[in-house]
Amino acid sequence: MKNKETVISVKNLKTFFYSDGRCNPAVNGVSFDVKSGKTLCVVGESGCGKSVTASSIMQLLPNNARIEEGEIVYKTGDSRGDIHIEKLDRNGKEMRSLRGKDIAMIFQDPMTALNPVYTVGWQIEEMIRNHENVTKEEARKRTLKLLADMGIPDHEKRIDQYPHEFSGGMRQRAMIAMAMSCNPKVLIADEPTTALDVTIQAQIFELMEELKEKHNTAILMITHDMGVVSEMADEVAVMYMGNIIESGTAKEVLGSPKHPYTEALLRSIPILGRGKGQDLNPIRGVTPDPFDRPSGCQFEPRCDYATKECSNRMPDEVNLGKTHMVRCIKYQEVSKNE
Amino acid sequence: MLKYTIKKILSMIPMILIITFIIYGLLELTPGDPISYLMDPESLARLSDAQIEEMREAYGLNGPFVVRYFNWLFRLLQGDFGYSISSGVPVIDIIKTGLPATLELAVASLIISTILGSILGVVSAIYKGTIGDNVLTVFGMIGVSIPQFFFGIVAILVFALNLEWLPVGGRTDPSVTGFFDRLEYIVLPSLVMGLSMTAGVMRYARSSMLDTMNKEYIKTARSKGLAEWRVNLLHGFRVSLTPVVVLIGFRLPTLVAGSVVIETVFQWPGIGNAFSTAVRAQNYNLVMMLALIFVVMTLFASTLVDIVTAAIDPRVKLEN
Repeated sequence: MKNKETVISVKNLKTFFYSDGRCNPAVNGVSFDVKSGKTLCVVGESGCGKSVTASSIMQLLPNNARIEEGEIVYKTGDSRGDIHIEKLDRNGKEMRSLRGKDIAMIFQDPMTALNPVYTVGWQIEEMIRNHENVTKEEARKRTLKLLADMGIPDHEKRIDQYPHEFSGGMRQRAMIAMAMSCNPKVLIADEPTTALDVTIQAQIFELMEELKEKHNTAILMITHDMGVVSEMADEVAVMYMGNIIESGTAKEVLGSPKHPYTEALLRSIPILGRGKGQDLNPIRGVTPDPFDRPSGCQFEPRCDYATKECSNRMPDEVNLGKTHMVRCIKYQEVSKNE
Repeated sequence: MLKYTIKKILSMIPMILIITFIIYGLLELTPGDPISYLMDPESLARLSDAQIEEMREAYGLNGPFVVRYFNWLFRLLQGDFGYSISSGVPVIDIIKTGLPATLELAVASLIISTILGSILGVVSAIYKGTIGDNVLTVFGMIGVSIPQFFFGIVAILVFALNLEWLPVGGRTDPSVTGFFDRLEYIVLPSLVMGLSMTAGVMRYARSSMLDTMNKEYIKTARSKGLAEWRVNLLHGFRVSLTPVVVLIGFRLPTLVAGSVVIETVFQWPGIGNAFSTAVRAQNYNLVMMLALIFVVMTLFASTLVDIVTAAIDPRVKLEN
């Protein structure tokens, strides 16, 4: 039995964006743990701060963004002890030694995430040689093995090809090969399959699942797709407007949602096989302007359960059982609907 | 690659024919008579119509221009470039003395503007929004808007007349003096020409670099934990090079043909100067020969750009 301990612990993380003198609290007090050998899915609609959360962990934020508060602790499990990522210099030596080596990332669009003027092999070798003191030949040998492990056929030839000669799915496999090249403890996947078609999607998930089992890697998956969540997640965190409004195991959150937003999200998914006559239940209203947020619960203007009390302040975290957390004062009413 | 180059060169031939034919036609359309540039107006007035006709015949200026164009072409193919109508000097001699001088200046200023322009452009892109970037942008604007002749005259005034560091102008014959003795003559003209071109290259390199640095693969490079210089140069600059190369490549022929101003200001004995006088005097033989050189150079530059682009960007395939 492999250990499932916490590798990254995020506590009360606040990452704010500044533009034209205005402040957008994109991530406004988020806490979660990423555990080795488990997949945590952060799910939410565009602009809810899920990608910013991922970028914060990697310190890959744009220049107008800043981590204001909270902590990101990376538990190395070796002599380096616990590293406070939020305290490191953005492009400093320590941060760079973590990036790629300890925490690797794959991106949404494999079409644009690889540099078009270098061969795929070169880009993977660059990663290996950046973190480990190996010869060119060794790096190439390892790259070949990685490509083979990722299920890239004809890898002897593929290693010297350019990204544009790869198909979308193959490119994402190459990206994963690159991310896994230094055996990272954590793999952050920012919507890794959004740009791929469904059959390829399934293959990529299978591959990630396999890697998780084999290397005991912790996976932090960012997605907006509930289908992906149900397929991949061990744990789920639902984000809305910069807050995690519900979290727990996949079974808890998907099976018995306690937050009106989670419930509405799940209800809005069309069900395959019910035909085109089925009623879709989109969430009414639109996401608020991030610069002009509701005063209390962020979901209050769109919520069916909303009362006066909801607009006073953001509800506190309520723990239901060991793992299930919800931030809603009306959660008991939501559970009645089951 | 070789096949492509050969194909490209062969495809140049019809283009050269068409373009030179058009130039010949345009010369024909310009008002005036080359004969009138050969002697002073008074002696010209004393000539009878028959005498003028005789002269035109002697210089080969009679007959339909289509016929004359093909005559020129056939003589060209036989290696006979003709004589300058206004001076009687063989055209080939004018080219032999002028072309090296012009090329020398063109290459020197191309090197200066390419190196300086791309470095400054990349630096100002990396430090976008800082004081340094703003200063460079202002200098770029000034560089683009100040006319070359003014810049040249100021440079002469300061560095040649006041400081007396460099000669005012001219060029010494390569066969007479050594390389380092000649160097001081080319410094001022090539710097003036190079610097005024640097501004354009810089702005281009900057915007290309900014465009590249916003790409997803730059984020990938950072996520690999690479050092900033590697991200900027190996992943950013390398990709943003392609459009800059295209710009520089197409500058080459403009440089050769367009150095009239600099050549005049610095008394540089190149062909730019010769070209402008020849056009005004309707000096067919000389104009056509120089035009031919410019056309070949332009086509050559475009082929060169294709080949270099294909070499630095694997997505570009030459075969198509």
